[in-house]
Amino acid sequence: MTSDMKVPPAVRLCGLEYRYPDGKEALCGVDMELRPGECVALVGPNGAGKSTLLLHLNGLLPGKGRQDLGHHHGLDLAGRNGRRPPSVWIDGIEVNHRTAAQIRRKVGLLFQDPDDQLFCTTVLEDVAFGPLNQGASQNEACQIARECLAQVELRDVADRPPHHLSFGERKRVCLAGVLACRPSVLVLDEPTANLDPRGRRRFIHLIRTLSSTKLIATHDLEMVLEICPRTILLDRGRVVADGPSRELLGNAQLVEDHGLELPLSLTPRQPN
Amino acid sequence: MRLEALDDRGERAGPVHRLDARSKLLFAVAFVIAVVATPIGQWRILGCLGFLLALLVGISGASVRSLLLRWAGFAVLVSLLAVMVAPGLPARAQHGLGTVILSIVAKNSLAFLMMLVLAKVTSWRDLLQAMLRLGVPRVLVATLQFMERYLHVLGDELARMSLARRARSFRRGSILSWRLLTGMLGMLLLRSFDRAERVHSAMIARGWDGTFHSLD
Repeated sequence: MTSDMKVPPAVRLCGLEYRYPDGKEALCGVDMELRPGECVALVGPNGAGKSTLLLHLNGLLPGKGRQDLGHHHGLDLAGRNGRRPPSVWIDGIEVNHRTAAQIRRKVGLLFQDPDDQLFCTTVLEDVAFGPLNQGASQNEACQIARECLAQVELRDVADRPPHHLSFGERKRVCLAGVLACRPSVLVLDEPTANLDPRGRRRFIHLIRTLSSTKLIATHDLEMVLEICPRTILLDRGRVVADGPSRELLGNAQLVEDHGLELPLSLTPRQPN
Repeated sequence: MRLEALDDRGERAGPVHRLDARSKLLFAVAFVIAVVATPIGQWRILGCLGFLLALLVGISGASVRSLLLRWAGFAVLVSLLAVMVAPGLPARAQHGLGTVILSIVAKNSLAFLMMLVLAKVTSWRDLLQAMLRLGVPRVLVATLQFMERYLHVLGDELARMSLARRARSFRRGSILSWRLLTGMLGMLLLRSFDRAERVHSAMIARGWDGTFHSLD
């Protein structure tokens, strides 16, 4: 741990709280730290607050629907007014309305439904959307987009409209779009949900090749065992457990208490 | 429901396909203005414009059948409107009710068919680009771009909803009851709102600051 003291954690949450607009508590004091380059799984039952937590890492929450200036509508006024201390840091930078643009360059967020993320007419335009917003010239953006498409093995679909692609392909295009922003922290929301086995395998392989810090919210526990050395278990807006994946997911009592099940690969084999 | 009708634009490259989209767009708009400006009862001018359109359809190689099929649905609606509107028009006294109704339907059909032909010979992307270059505000073009993108998504969503409804309906017959139909449309609207929020979040997450940049 001592060697990590000088480098700020890639992600740091400290007492993160959030209430839905209807008053229901979504996150009640979440603390966590991710070291640079770490690949961490975030597991928990439906409604545990996983997706809500992920949106905080990019400054998209809290404060949805509140009045704010310009297009940084996702950020809370509370931090600015000093009513509440900041609770999210990325690479040592506090997430607030002033740092939003900077934070969004650092954090790449992959949404669960690819159709939410693919809004341009062609695949290439979509992947180039991030770089263009970051101020890249058209040529640069185009080049970056092509490189990222090659990285996800979809060089050939650059000029196709997104609705002509399969679900797995759309998902990979989304990842290319996120990678094109050159993030240092990758936040993935259910990356393998609804993928067929081959698509899932491909996606897992892809995630493995990425060197950035990764936080993966998922129900795919086998994937967690494969690529995430560390797991954080979230339930009812609280961190229930945080530790090595094998140990944590192998604890039958713990996982069953929190709406999960023992991964098949950790189940003692029974003779047929 | 797959929205294939939206997909076949510009896929076969004919001589008209290769023309600059801007000139095609300007020509189509000029044609529509000419049609609209033609006074009621001037059948010769309308005939000439119709002939010009037929010529264009011939050159473009667009399928007449598919054009007419799309026009037919629209024509029914316009005819109904024409029947309702025509009795109140001052031109009725001069030309008679029949002529006025026919004129409205003919003019609408010519304009609509022209737009269909334009859409047939120009890809959606080229059309949007042409609008941009002609000085149409970027926000408007971006809105059209989103509309096209999400028509497919919403179309699929509607198809799934209607399949789920059919899977649980035990009455025969395919005609929807009004209550079900309005319920489904309401649900679709709500889902679209949710999706719009998520799309907005996804845009902001990739650094969107309210200005649209384009690759071309």
